[in-house]
Amino acid sequence: MWLPVLGLVFGIVIGFLLDWRVPQEYSSYLSIALLAGLDTIFGGIRSYLERTFNVRIFMSGFFFNTLFAAGLAFIGAFLGIDLYLAAIVAFGVRLFNNLAVIRRIILYKWISQKE
Amino acid sequence: MLPKNRKIAFILTIISAIIGIMLTVQLRSNLHPIKAESRSVSELRTTLQKELEKHKSLLADISKYNQLFYQYETALDTDESVSVMKEELSRTRRLAGLVSVEGKGAVIRIVDAPPLPEQAAVDGDLMSGDNQTSYQIDDEDLRWVANSLFANGAKAVSLNGHRLISTTAIRSVGQSIQVDTKFVQPPYEFKALGEPDVLISGLKLEGIEENFQLANKKIVFEESDRLVVPAYSEQRTIRFMKPVKSKGDQ
Repeated sequence: MWLPVLGLVFGIVIGFLLDWRVPQEYSSYLSIALLAGLDTIFGGIRSYLERTFNVRIFMSGFFFNTLFAAGLAFIGAFLGIDLYLAAIVAFGVRLFNNLAVIRRIILYKWISQKE
Repeated sequence: MLPKNRKIAFILTIISAIIGIMLTVQLRSNLHPIKAESRSVSELRTTLQKELEKHKSLLADISKYNQLFYQYETALDTDESVSVMKEELSRTRRLAGLVSVEGKGAVIRIVDAPPLPEQAAVDGDLMSGDNQTSYQIDDEDLRWVANSLFANGAKAVSLNGHRLISTTAIRSVGQSIQVDTKFVQPPYEFKALGEPDVLISGLKLEGIEENFQLANKKIVFEESDRLVVPAYSEQRTIRFMKPVKSKGDQ
């Protein structure tokens, strides 16, 4: 269970060591990809708690969502429409939904354990 | 079940690592944005184009100001010719009588003379009383005086404050005498700029005193070192004449 957290720390350390920098104009793509990744992570946690977790769905969701969000932002910039806003709103809403579900499940578990 | 669980944990770890990398990259690029590489080639090209245009316009400015500078420099040279022209203009105006002038000269007054008894006795049969009173100074006498003054080198002459210029007419209109369009009344007073001695002796030589004695007038000569002759006051219009253009003139 602690392995993913370790992985996160490991990734952060690697990121600092690599010292990559994204140019300003591509920074929005990365941020939206990051948002998609976070959404997938929370979705994974939720499905894990709901015991409907599937690795393939999780993996494909992570990569597909990330790439699709970045691609949407790119197409939006290409067309002159701020499409990345749509992705941000959608992922944001899903993120909060997932968080709410996770919180509820954990609360229920805690209350049922107490009783 | 365990290997599957491990597999899941492994995948989750990898994905977490990827997300961590993305997070840090995003963080770093937001904290220290790269500005130099954020411009595309076309952007740089348009910027270069703009700078080139600016350079060109600055060059044009330089040449413009150089030209202006050159003009001012030449203007400094031609300044002399302008002053010469101004001098010439003022000289011409002085000659034409359009400005008041002063200098040494003579004042000639034609005043009523008290009848001298002995002279009356001498010329008694020549000039009867009727004759004397009937003889009036006319325009011709004044013209003669003015001409004599000019002939004796007067540079500026005025009659009762009216400047006499080259086109001035002195003529009888009815009972009075007009200088140009202004009436003049006796006593008549000429002011002439010139050598006073020459002017006075010239008039005397012409017999001005004798001439005006006939009209029972006396001539009073007065020399002056500082005499002011006024400017010609009437409007001069140029009519009936045009400068003849010779071929060399522009």
